[in-house]
Amino acid sequence: MITITPKRKFDVPIQAACINVDVFTGKTLNEIKKLAITEGKENLTLDDAFDLTEDKTLETPNITLTGDFSKVKRIGQGMKTGEIIINGNVGMHTGEKLAGGKIVINGNSDGWTGSEMKKGLIEIHGDAGDYTASPFRGNSAGMKGGLITVDGNVGSNVGCYLQGGTIKIKGSAGRFLGHHMSDGTIYVEKNCASRAGTFMTGGKIIINGTVELLMPTFTIDSIKPKVKVDATQNAQGPFYVFLGDIAERGTGKIFALKTTNPELATYEKYL
Amino acid sequence: MTEILIKNGFVIDPLNNINCQKMDIAIKDGKIVEKVNEREAKVIDASGLTVMAGGVDIHSHIAGSEVNIGRMLRPDDHVKDVVRKTALTRSGTGYSIPSTYVTGYRYSKMGYTTVMNPSMAAMKAKHAHEELNDIPLIDKAVFTLLGDWWVALETIAKGDLEECARHIAWMIRATRSYAIKIVNPGGLESWGFGRNVHSLDDEVPNFSLTPRDIITGMAKVNAMLNMPHTIHLHTNNLGIPGNYKTTIETMQALESVYKGDKPVGHITHIQFSSFAGDNWAHFKSGAAEIANYLNAHNHMTIDIGQVTFADTTTMTADGPFEFSLYELGGHNKWVNSDVETESSGGIIPFHFKKKNAVNAIQWSIGLELSLMIKDPWKVSMTTDHPNGGPFYHYPRVFAWLYSRKAREATLKKCNKKAQRKSLLPTLDREYTLYELAIITRAGTAKALGLKNKGHLGIGADADVAIYNINPETTDIAQNYKPVRKAFSNAIYTIKDGEIVVKDKEIIAIRPGRTMWLDVQTKEPYRINEEMKRKFKEYWTVEFDNYPVTDHYIKVPEKITIQASV
Amino acid sequence: MAEIFKSVVCPICGCLCDDLEATVENNEIVKMKNGCAVCEAKMVHGYKSDERILEPYIRKDGKLVPVSMDEAICKAAQILTDAKYPLLFGWTSSVSETQHVGVELAEELGGALDNCCSVCHGPSVMAIQEIGIPTATLGQIRHRADLIVYWACDPWSSHPRHVERYTAFTDGRFEKSEFKEYVQKLKAKASQKKVDAAIRRTQVRYQPSQPPKAAIVEAPPQSLAKAGRKMIVFDVRKTMTAEVADYFVQVEPNTDYEIFGALRCLVNDQELDIDKVGGVPVEYLKEIVDAMVNADFGAIFFGLGLTQSVGRFRNIEIAIAMTRDLNRKTKFVIAPMRGHFNVTGANTVFAWQTGYPFALDFSQGYPQYNPGEFTANDLLRRGDNDATLVISADPGAHFPKSSIQNMMKHPLITINPDWNAISRLGDVVFPTQWCGIEQAGTAYRMDSIPVTLKKIVEAPKGILADEEIVRRILEKVRDIKAQKNEKDIQGQQQILERKM
Repeated sequence: MITITPKRKFDVPIQAACINVDVFTGKTLNEIKKLAITEGKENLTLDDAFDLTEDKTLETPNITLTGDFSKVKRIGQGMKTGEIIINGNVGMHTGEKLAGGKIVINGNSDGWTGSEMKKGLIEIHGDAGDYTASPFRGNSAGMKGGLITVDGNVGSNVGCYLQGGTIKIKGSAGRFLGHHMSDGTIYVEKNCASRAGTFMTGGKIIINGTVELLMPTFTIDSIKPKVKVDATQNAQGPFYVFLGDIAERGTGKIFALKTTNPELATYEKYL
Repeated sequence: MTEILIKNGFVIDPLNNINCQKMDIAIKDGKIVEKVNEREAKVIDASGLTVMAGGVDIHSHIAGSEVNIGRMLRPDDHVKDVVRKTALTRSGTGYSIPSTYVTGYRYSKMGYTTVMNPSMAAMKAKHAHEELNDIPLIDKAVFTLLGDWWVALETIAKGDLEECARHIAWMIRATRSYAIKIVNPGGLESWGFGRNVHSLDDEVPNFSLTPRDIITGMAKVNAMLNMPHTIHLHTNNLGIPGNYKTTIETMQALESVYKGDKPVGHITHIQFSSFAGDNWAHFKSGAAEIANYLNAHNHMTIDIGQVTFADTTTMTADGPFEFSLYELGGHNKWVNSDVETESSGGIIPFHFKKKNAVNAIQWSIGLELSLMIKDPWKVSMTTDHPNGGPFYHYPRVFAWLYSRKAREATLKKCNKKAQRKSLLPTLDREYTLYELAIITRAGTAKALGLKNKGHLGIGADADVAIYNINPETTDIAQNYKPVRKAFSNAIYTIKDGEIVVKDKEIIAIRPGRTMWLDVQTKEPYRINEEMKRKFKEYWTVEFDNYPVTDHYIKVPEKITIQASV
Repeated sequence: MAEIFKSVVCPICGCLCDDLEATVENNEIVKMKNGCAVCEAKMVHGYKSDERILEPYIRKDGKLVPVSMDEAICKAAQILTDAKYPLLFGWTSSVSETQHVGVELAEELGGALDNCCSVCHGPSVMAIQEIGIPTATLGQIRHRADLIVYWACDPWSSHPRHVERYTAFTDGRFEKSEFKEYVQKLKAKASQKKVDAAIRRTQVRYQPSQPPKAAIVEAPPQSLAKAGRKMIVFDVRKTMTAEVADYFVQVEPNTDYEIFGALRCLVNDQELDIDKVGGVPVEYLKEIVDAMVNADFGAIFFGLGLTQSVGRFRNIEIAIAMTRDLNRKTKFVIAPMRGHFNVTGANTVFAWQTGYPFALDFSQGYPQYNPGEFTANDLLRRGDNDATLVISADPGAHFPKSSIQNMMKHPLITINPDWNAISRLGDVVFPTQWCGIEQAGTAYRMDSIPVTLKKIVEAPKGILADEEIVRRILEKVRDIKAQKNEKDIQGQQQILERKM
């Protein structure tokens, strides 16, 4: 196990895509220390900015980061195997294009965490930023598989262009949740801000709390007693089931808990 | 200026009938000369290497408003292909629409030295020229979109071709352009109200004329103006199954204009206009019909618009075509950009896939045409960058042409239905290096009427490419991969007598020239007064602010021609 | 001697009207013909204001002290080279030639580069990247549009000649001006006001003013079904533009997205499960959609009310999606009402050199793009950059306090013609010429048409064009870097020698 701690407080962003189990594997500690990062425009090595120690007795997690990493971007980008634990807040693009393995964040994550991810697991034990699990600008291929769990709240535009996989949020979600998603599942335990599921053509969004405002582009389909989140979890209803986005001729589903959303009862007349 | 002597290379120079001859090429003051002083000149030992004139591209969308909207549209495309700054070169991005500097570097590394930017809305000409200034290492020129310009439509409808010619001459000068580009004649004006024309004899709404009138009228105007290039034509019905008939009708319509000396029309990216079958389900190749026609007639030249199977970005002034492409489904972005009084435009990101039957057949059509048209002087090699694929994929196309083995390797990976429909297994022809030089520089320069390009005769521009190909010892058809690699990266590229690429790296930066025609009509003044009157009605910019001024062209090369009107 | 300049281009808003006539006496503009009030304010009065910066300044011991141009250039270059991550922001009130050098400077510095579009129509650009855009040049709309929709913008105030030059009040080849009808409407209104006043005077002398009623959307008028040009305005308040429209729809703030959603359903022949969206009855929306579908050529213009309200670029995305859907039924285009005269140019110039229109970062040696990550406000709010150069913009007046507070923690260089809020905060302050008045160059109209700005008067002595200032900073930066490299090499050699 390699432990990494910041040597100082960082003023400008650090890009450190090399903090990645695939990159570390097969390298000695000294070789790892010499991996290239940037701080602003300055080209540095890992040990210019961080203290690195190795504990050969521990296999997993492969990398532990302790301290404030909120200015450090692209940790675990494209990682295929292994485990990273981050004890502290972490910067943007963490676990972007993740293709396997596991990243645990004991703190808050910033934007584009798990963006365009294919496989693997990201656990966020704090809040997650905007664009979590959403693709890069202009790209209409989002997260394809894997699981992201968030203990806290998430920002806006989470799970855009989702094509597969599962996002579970224990807190509340911001606007444009699951925008343009075509498959996969998003589960929100608390409340969801307006404009969920806009442009969606498939997949499901399950909201266990209140729905701030349902888009007019959804039409009521049925009331279901319960719904499956994934292989390990069922959500207990009853749920209003809405179909949409009908402007896109979509067949995505929004499940909104009946008991917490009395104002949606007006839709019952169309059943 | 330094003198350069390229010694002992295998020179391929079709315009001077030189085929793989071991000889020296001397360069002085940016020109090819008889000889130089060997002791003072910089000597390049080219033994075992192939020496050709710098490549000439007849049709590649590298600059201008349309191209740049395509760039802005696709951050997802750029992020796949980034180019770092070096001490000499600027940074930038690819992939399907590279940024300006990267465009220059990549062309130069392939040994290309001249590129035609074939589609420019006149009203946005300044923009195109500003971008061209930022494309280093290559000479370039632009073609102005004039086929649906109101003034042209009105004068042709009136039957007054001389008046039309004078207006076109003004426009060519005002936009600092090199040729007349016609896109889906009549269709772009119809698209102003969301409609299109579907045959050569449909009437253009609000203007009493037909696409046929525009095509033949413009070809006659082109002759009156003594333009070096023919009209550059993107046919009606492009991209629609069964359109090969329209293409043949278009070529037939131009037979009447032909005087027996030089071609009167150039059909660009003809692959997209050679579709047979009644609909997409019955889509098939119309290459044989087109090739047969071209083999029997001499009044046309063409370029291919080869598909290279890339995740690319399609862009054309043919707004209605792009919309119909968008309506086929599966596309996430659609841009339409109409230009008042002149033109329209459309952009759609498009991924050509081997496993898609239509895409694979399109790939096959391009190669079938190149192989079935017997006279290589009628053919120019293009991918209609970025429509069929990015220009730096050209070496792949070369390999498919000079090596049957290379074609078979790709065809094997294609959609099964497309494999069954392809004519490629019946075609044995393999291009020689000599023929390849024709379709990439000599013939292209000839079709464009560029006297100093595309050859290595005395007085030609000293634009030279040296490739690591030994024609004596290499069977290019069998060993297509190393040859393809050699074409991707020239050992040397010489631009205007300066070595700009050496050992596959860029070692010097030169701004390229922008060529434009100063068309001299007999009565220049009268036209100005007429144009002024029309300006207020037709455009939203003032007459004084419309023309491109000298400020916009960093290194101009003015070519003066005398029109016969 | 009065000199008259014709076809002058107005360097203020995205309309870039180019039919102005300027009268110049003794190197001063004394009269502008054809321009709007905003144009006259800037070109006759504004540019000569007392607030003009006349020489370069450097802040020494907290006070701005006049210095020579060379000293200011050296200082600016030193600040930028010393910074680990400088931000270069502004550019939109400059000519394209300046923006062009700006990209080169940012690349040389490895810094972040952003333009004002990140606080105006950047969201429009982002939406285009998601979905594309069906658009047209303004003349195409002038010639053909019979339905014009202004959504969340007030051209009457912000782009005063937009309506008269490009849309409802101008004659096109296929559509005629609605100006006469408007004048009749005005006359009718004026006489109605007289009647109202007379009635009021006959009644009780004093009445306490009533609180404003909640917005009630009126039913669509008959005229929406007429032939010829029609104009619809959607906004949260009744603007000047709304006054001249055929139909004004007052929407509840921040509900535009929902309304577009509903309109899209109706355009695509879907039924809605609700009867009111954003305060507008669905019945009315149906009539609006009928008018849109029945138009021969429709055009939607949108403003900052969409790009900077809740939803931001998603608002534009759905507006474009609706326009796209409408193209299956008729011809429809949509266009942003871009503000600063050359903000479109900044996007254009950045894009052709780098592939990206704004929100750029060069720290990796190649261009990176991401609004939200490299946009000026996001960088400043997080405190990511450690020096700032502001050119031809005034974030001091328009950015949030938190951004400016972080900006002030690090050195600030400004290049502006006058003492605006940001110039006063600068550590190095450059004076510069007014583009389009004292400096010629290229600007891009809101519909991407390049227009050449003219030089009409001479700048005060010693004041340079911003292009030259940026170029000289760039040259100085290269000098400093070359010297530093040389020192590094010498240092390494000394170390080697010592070791030996």
